[in-house]
Amino acid sequence: MAAPRAGFGLPTRVLHWVMAFGILGTFALGAYVARMEVGLGNLWLFGLHKTIGAVLLALAMARIVWHGIAPPPGPLPGPPEWQMTLARAAHRALYALMLGVPVSGWARASASGLDVVIFGRLTLPAIAPASPAVEDALALLHRGLAWGFLAVILLHVAGALKRAIGARDGTLRRMLRG
Amino acid sequence: MRRRTFLTTLSAAAGVLCTAPAIAAARHYSLDTTQSTVGFETDFGPDKITGSMPVIRADLAIDFRNLAASSVSVALDATAARASFPFAAQALKGPRVLDAATYPSVTFESRAVRREGDEAGIDGLLTIRGVTRPATLHAAIYRQAGTDPGDLSRLTIHLTGALRRSDFGATGWSDLVGDEVRIRIVARIAQVA
Ligand code: HEM
Ligand code: HEM
Repeated sequence: MAAPRAGFGLPTRVLHWVMAFGILGTFALGAYVARMEVGLGNLWLFGLHKTIGAVLLALAMARIVWHGIAPPPGPLPGPPEWQMTLARAAHRALYALMLGVPVSGWARASASGLDVVIFGRLTLPAIAPASPAVEDALALLHRGLAWGFLAVILLHVAGALKRAIGARDGTLRRMLRG
Repeated sequence: MRRRTFLTTLSAAAGVLCTAPAIAAARHYSLDTTQSTVGFETDFGPDKITGSMPVIRADLAIDFRNLAASSVSVALDATAARASFPFAAQALKGPRVLDAATYPSVTFESRAVRREGDEAGIDGLLTIRGVTRPATLHAAIYRQAGTDPGDLSRLTIHLTGALRRSDFGATGWSDLVGDEVRIRIVARIAQVA
């Protein structure tokens, strides 16, 4: 196994920021489509949400594989131990949700009994039985996980900003510039 | 799509009635499936979803002298239903709406035919998803272009009606798609006997 590097490599940083914007955008789009008045003119937004969500699922898997190849560095020292533990737990939760949120969305869409189409033409296989009861349960799961994701992201961002603005210890800088 | 079509009826445009030669009994007609459509329409947010279903079978008998002796029996192919966009067609045929895999046809059998001014009212039994409910269609008969007044051998019938899909248990996507389904049928028929 390669020795952990001193900083974040370019692939790790690009993945982090592309996915961060992608996830927040997909969250906003999901929350919007779930509440809009659906008609012919905006039906495509469901497809957009699924398409970007599926791309994010693929990127999350690529990110996990990449971290196996090039492990990210450990945290910069400074904060008390409980904060370090919290940050580690938050990172683990973020990975679980990077997989769990899109998979639950895919399952929820499958349970509708309609084809799950991404990029306007690619039909994903159904990963849940077509049933209104299953769809309702999975809709609740996808919604719950998505909002839980937002909560963990806010905690994560608060921690990053605390170190960037409060401690000024270079944590944010090394995720931005390496 | 050549087979879209169907239902029908009888009715009597007053003009047709007056100029009709004396007719002893009901005339039987066959449906020109290539020139007829069984269409429907429902609300989808600010828009509409339209669609159609092909006719499997249509038996029509019209007695212009005595409308009440007329009858109509029609079967539609639910498995070949079409809708204005792909998701709607899939949803329509799927288990939450028509459940075409279990109930491949939609049928209408007239029970009573009445005159309604220039038009006819057809009370009958509509079966969707295996659930049978009373339904009424309103029919207006027209002479086809190029035929002589009084020629009853080829006619065009416009039928309209509405149903509530929830009455038949076809409740899928009721949060997005309207409950009322409006039916619009253009039937071009030719006399066979
Ligand atoms: C990182 C990826 C994703 C995020 C952050 C996300 C987020 C969300 C959010 C916030 C909602 C609205 C929940 C609410 O009601 O408040 C939602 C709804 C939904 N998502 Fe996702 N989603 C993701 C991926 C996916 C994927 C991959 C699919 C399907 C292939 C999907 C399918 C859906 C569907 C069908 C809805 C329901 C819309 C409605 O209520 O009609 N999502 N998503
Ligand atoms: C959807 C949003 C986000 C997710 C899923 C996410 C996920 C992660 C994960 C998993 C790590 C650990 C390193 C890795 O495994 O790649 C990390 C590190 C980091 N993130 Fe985020 N992040 C998000 C948004 C943000 C935002 C908006 C900021 C900035 C305000 C931020 C700042 C940081 C910083 C500074 C690190 C480095 C921590 C260290 O030095 O140990 N993240 N992020």
